[in-house]
Amino acid sequence: MLIEIQALQAELPAVAGMPVGRLCEQLAGLGFPVDGVETSGPSPVLEVDVTANRGDAQSHRGLARDLAAKLGAQLAPLRTAATAEGEPLVPIRLEAGAAAPFYATAVLELGAAGATPEPVRAFLAAMGAGAKNLPAVDASNELLHRYGQPTHAFDADLVQGGITVRWAREGELLTTLDGVERKLTPLDLVIADDAGPVGLAGLMGGDGTKVSAGTRRVLLESAYFDPRVVRAMAHRHGLHTDASLRFGRGTDPGFARTGRDLLLERLQDWAGARLLSAWAVGTLPEPVGSIPVEWTMLDRMAGYPVDHWEAASFLRRLGCSVTEQEGGLAVQPPTWRHDLALPADLAEEVLRLKGYEAIPAVLPPLDSAPVPPAPGYLKRRNLASRLAHLGFYQTVTLGFVDPQEEKEGLGDQQALRTLRNPLGEDYSVMRGTLLRDLARVARMNLERGARSVQLFEIAPVFRALPGQPMTETWTLGLVWAGAMGGEDPLTPARAMAGPEGQSYLIGVLKRLGVADAAIAGFTRWAMPDGTGKGSAGWQFELPLDGIPDEPARIIPKFVPFSRFPVVERDLSLLVGLDQAYAGLRDAVTAAVAGTPLLDLRCVDVFRHKSLPAGRQGWLLRLRFQAMDRTLTGEEVDGWMNRALAAARSLGCELRG
Amino acid sequence: MELSLLPPEVADAHRGFPEALAACRDLDALMRLKGAFVGRDGSHASRLMDLLKAAPREAKRDLGAAVNGLKQQWEEGLKLRQAELEQARARTAALASAWDPDLPAPAPVLGALHPLTRLMDRMVDVFRPLGYHVEEGPEAETEAHNFDGLNIPQDHPARGSADTFYFKDQDGLLLRTHTSPVQVRVLRRIGARGADGRSELERSGGIRFLAPGRVYRKDEIDPTHSPMFHQVEGMIVGKGIGMHHLKGTLAYAMKALFGPGAEVRFRPSYFPFVEPGAEMDVRCPLCGGGGCRVCKGSGWVELLGAGLLHPNILTMAGIDPAVWSGFAFGMGVERTAMMVSETPDLRLFFENDQRFLRTMGGLD
Repeated sequence: MLIEIQALQAELPAVAGMPVGRLCEQLAGLGFPVDGVETSGPSPVLEVDVTANRGDAQSHRGLARDLAAKLGAQLAPLRTAATAEGEPLVPIRLEAGAAAPFYATAVLELGAAGATPEPVRAFLAAMGAGAKNLPAVDASNELLHRYGQPTHAFDADLVQGGITVRWAREGELLTTLDGVERKLTPLDLVIADDAGPVGLAGLMGGDGTKVSAGTRRVLLESAYFDPRVVRAMAHRHGLHTDASLRFGRGTDPGFARTGRDLLLERLQDWAGARLLSAWAVGTLPEPVGSIPVEWTMLDRMAGYPVDHWEAASFLRRLGCSVTEQEGGLAVQPPTWRHDLALPADLAEEVLRLKGYEAIPAVLPPLDSAPVPPAPGYLKRRNLASRLAHLGFYQTVTLGFVDPQEEKEGLGDQQALRTLRNPLGEDYSVMRGTLLRDLARVARMNLERGARSVQLFEIAPVFRALPGQPMTETWTLGLVWAGAMGGEDPLTPARAMAGPEGQSYLIGVLKRLGVADAAIAGFTRWAMPDGTGKGSAGWQFELPLDGIPDEPARIIPKFVPFSRFPVVERDLSLLVGLDQAYAGLRDAVTAAVAGTPLLDLRCVDVFRHKSLPAGRQGWLLRLRFQAMDRTLTGEEVDGWMNRALAAARSLGCELRG
Repeated sequence: MELSLLPPEVADAHRGFPEALAACRDLDALMRLKGAFVGRDGSHASRLMDLLKAAPREAKRDLGAAVNGLKQQWEEGLKLRQAELEQARARTAALASAWDPDLPAPAPVLGALHPLTRLMDRMVDVFRPLGYHVEEGPEAETEAHNFDGLNIPQDHPARGSADTFYFKDQDGLLLRTHTSPVQVRVLRRIGARGADGRSELERSGGIRFLAPGRVYRKDEIDPTHSPMFHQVEGMIVGKGIGMHHLKGTLAYAMKALFGPGAEVRFRPSYFPFVEPGAEMDVRCPLCGGGGCRVCKGSGWVELLGAGLLHPNILTMAGIDPAVWSGFAFGMGVERTAMMVSETPDLRLFFENDQRFLRTMGGLD
């Protein structure tokens, strides 16, 4: 909201001469931080952030009232005396009950010529509104910004018959002042004449009854509308006006009459208008009852012993009527403070006016036993840390996917993961896999010149089956693309997209403790290169419950190890090019079952045209170590013969 | 001995001997030269010996001395050169097995945690000593948890489809717009009475937790907005909790996060689920309070929203606000990360360029 300092001073003379920075601090201390200061005009204009609960503070007078209470200063008196009310000149009927309980009005005959005074024109310019040089319109706008009471002036000669505030009938049409023809529904509260709607209550007047240069007589409106009704209408019509913003957050019903008086007074002053009659219909909404505030609650919330006299004084300055009672106060909030309903609301007022800087900073005593961090959180945190140490970069991606890009069957119903109101088609589905995003990020990094790309993300993925609640599963996704090695004299270069790249990723998965079955069962290893044809690396994804939990023991259980020598033997084999390593490994391992085998692994693969066609050389290394003795050469020879026999049974032969 | 007395080719060889010696670059060449001069057969020395044998008796003594002199000269030269060459070979061998440690070796391969993860983990670490644990909830939430249970009015604009993502064909299911539904879930859990008629809250005497996580709002992607971002929510429920506890906790946390010199401002604000409400601002780290683009000229950057739990929130969860009180706070992770790191564009956090992750991330 825009606040012109000069206009603020007019309401609260005490802020005259206060430096702008100090004023901003005062406003922030009251809960109205200043987001910007515009100094190009004759008087600085503040952009003040007013929270949604403070309908009363959406005007110069409203903010001045809070500042006055804070500073213990007096507001300038309103420059009007109550207008004597007379006989209704036009029938006014209120047919919408509590939605529009009160309507103050007047009919005036305008003088020959009128003009909006220059200072008001400048004020409206500072408010970004601009003067129309129609006194009835400009005065109404001025009042809105100055006092927060929206008002409206109809051309009385264009109003047919009487005024009725009622719910619209289905299909009724109204062209509002912005020139838009709006189709109304019974949810719309309208101001109607005998011919039909002439205004959307609290939002905007109708084009057909608007004041123009030729207007001779005006009918004024200064009313109170239910904030919820106005908010809903503004939302439905997408019509957020200065008036709807104020009615929608709650105006002061007690000010409706005064607003009319201020408006007619201006028309008399600026346009030589003659008051024909002023009157009002309806009743003001019931004020909320008295709210008890206990000193014990105030002291508990504040953290310091609240001074009783000062607390009562703060509340009185805010316009509350306050009476002392046993153990506290009984407080009746003023008509403009719709937000004060509970004892806690009033406690906030006391703390707010005293200033939050007066609240001491105290750590609460620990009066309940701390709970250890959730195992799921700890597991993810440790997993992320391990992956970072293994060379992977953690990504965070948004989680929306294009349904066309996630066409692979994920075993659920994609439609149920689809948003009703997405940002766009390509952001319309909540992802069922992390691999799309990881591959996209990996390709982007490669395109930008990254040589090696190792990424992981830990995030929930969504799955939805008809008739079942949507599931979110914490999932780990990994990609490894680009090249590795070849960047120093010691390491040969390898393209990760090559078939051996998969071994690197499997090595990482094993380090994480991923079960062999999960690795064997995974089918989407190739990381798409974006062309739809090729692969640029390797990827893997699994739910986090596929990764072992952190051990319960702080330090794992002790596993004994041998202190006797290790015997290492190599077995150089010629094996078929189609031989699966896992098959050979398992067969050889089974053949030496019962021996103190420490480790069995293939340490070299040799493929060359010098070898028989269809064959390759594999060098298996077996290491034995007994827990209780030094092994003899003969017994190890015997085990190696068993290993060789097992390899032979698979068609392998000893390589000469 | 007069060179003229020697056969001309031997004389020539002798004259060329120092050069030939120097020209030997390795021991093989030197051995060949040695063979040519002092070898058993066909060498210059053996030719001189033949000459000596054939010489007349009276000339033998002088000639013999001269021949021996020459041979000695050659042998000494060869020996010296051999020592030189052997030394050189040893030096080369030593060099060949040496390695310049400044040559690049494969660097230890290290990745990094995402900066947003680091900041959230740091928050958890800062609050852990105060007895806070971690609570979590789903991202696909119900209106009941995301709005109703937080005292957010039925017609609040945040509920609208312009602000909140709703699932199609899933009645009332939405993407949570803040981490606060975790509050609602926890309050309902600890407020529910068990078979013994007592609630978890009554048994434990209080609770304090953080709820870090992903949240969604219908904002177009731009340098300061994203439809997905992160929040860290904190909440405490106990007896006698007041604003002083909130202020003390946040003051501790801000100093732990931003350093002891961090200047913060605690001021009133409004959220439907707290009363009194508050916000904490920090002195703009970019301009130090003088006013700049980041703080929009105000000198302060809004850091978090907070307040005492609204009595309605407790009542809705079956907790008596006359007995129990508490506070809650919520902090935008990206906003804070941008401020701390002076990152100019929010989108960098979700783009995941490895160069960004390498410099902004870490292993802790």
